[in-house]
Amino acid sequence: MTEVIALETKTEMSIQNTKKILEKYPKDKRYTLAILQDIQRNYDYIPKEAIWEVSNYIESPLSEVYTIATFYKALSLKPKGKYVIKVCNGTACHIRGSDKVLDAIKSSLNIQPGETSEDGLFSIEIVNCVGACALAPVMVINDKYYGNMTKDKVHQVLDEIRRSQNE
Amino acid sequence: MKVEINGKMLNANEGETILELAKRNDINIPSLCHKKGFDGLGRCRMCLVEIKEGHRTKLVSSCVYPVKDELKVQTHTDEIIKIRKDIVMLMYLKSPKNKYVQKLAEEYEIMIPEKYVQKISDDCILCGLCVEACRELGTSAISMVNRGTGKKVSTPYDDESKDCIGCGSCAEVCPTNAITMTENENTRTIWNRTFELVSCEICGKNYTTLETLKYSENLLGQKIECICDECKKKITAATFKESFKNIY
Repeated sequence: MTEVIALETKTEMSIQNTKKILEKYPKDKRYTLAILQDIQRNYDYIPKEAIWEVSNYIESPLSEVYTIATFYKALSLKPKGKYVIKVCNGTACHIRGSDKVLDAIKSSLNIQPGETSEDGLFSIEIVNCVGACALAPVMVINDKYYGNMTKDKVHQVLDEIRRSQNE
Repeated sequence: MKVEINGKMLNANEGETILELAKRNDINIPSLCHKKGFDGLGRCRMCLVEIKEGHRTKLVSSCVYPVKDELKVQTHTDEIIKIRKDIVMLMYLKSPKNKYVQKLAEEYEIMIPEKYVQKISDDCILCGLCVEACRELGTSAISMVNRGTGKKVSTPYDDESKDCIGCGSCAEVCPTNAITMTENENTRTIWNRTFELVSCEICGKNYTTLETLKYSENLLGQKIECICDECKKKITAATFKESFKNIY
């Protein structure tokens, strides 16, 4: 169900065909990661069919491509939401209460880290440092930084995004 | 090539690993992820040894370290034994209910307070022998999935794999019996897929799956008779007997 929704939202950004991506690379095992990264960039996740296509194209067993796809954190097998919320859990943020920020986001969206909300709008990720320790605790939504987060601020930001979607 | 292990001078062959040399000379180096016929994986680290090259000493995994001329090896120093104990202890924390690991823990005299022992016992110690066996066969149906604490051996998406032929090699090589393979009357289930079994033409015992037979026939490019290993041995023995009859 979530896959369908995510694909629909992504069609607006015009998805390139996996085959078109594959054609850019030579048929060699060592390009597996580069191809997967490219697919991730285009789809924002790696669809099941794409792994099949990659495995056929570079003539590598499906299991080996799957190993690479599950190993790297930069690659995701589940569709990401339109807004990816990265909650920093680096040392500074951790000490200044990133767990409370995370709890607020989790309860507001009703999903766990690594999951995508049912409307395909949000997904949560925990990251280890975003290089903005002075603003701790920090969360990043699609490359926009939100510093000195509190429970109330989280709800404010999320509500704002939801409102902008409805307009 | 001369290599010294525990003070004993040994003749080594070019390209051999330290573990192979030691095994050939009946020197015991414990190893979990090493099996005859496979390349060393260097994963379990139980085969750690101390080597001295010139003036330097260092710890290496003997299953992947090739022998060099005038190499000096120590297999059971205090430091190494301590490291091996630590490895077994960590393994025991993860798989406290596995018989193989329990035996190892006993052998290495591992004592862990009850409160530290995990309630959920995982049989797999992630040695990777099964993945290696599957790859060597050319099927590559299973592989390591995820990483860190979530790492496991599985088929892609935990689905039944099209590449799997149900040969059971993975279960065969597994040191801890972590791979479940169940057999009913005429079927075998492994990695979430059920295979039809083929019976031996002579004794009638089920011995392999249809897919395994087809796979071997494809590789060989000819038809294979459905005869189990035991019956094959009997036939060979009988032919031998027959040919020796005239000699005596």
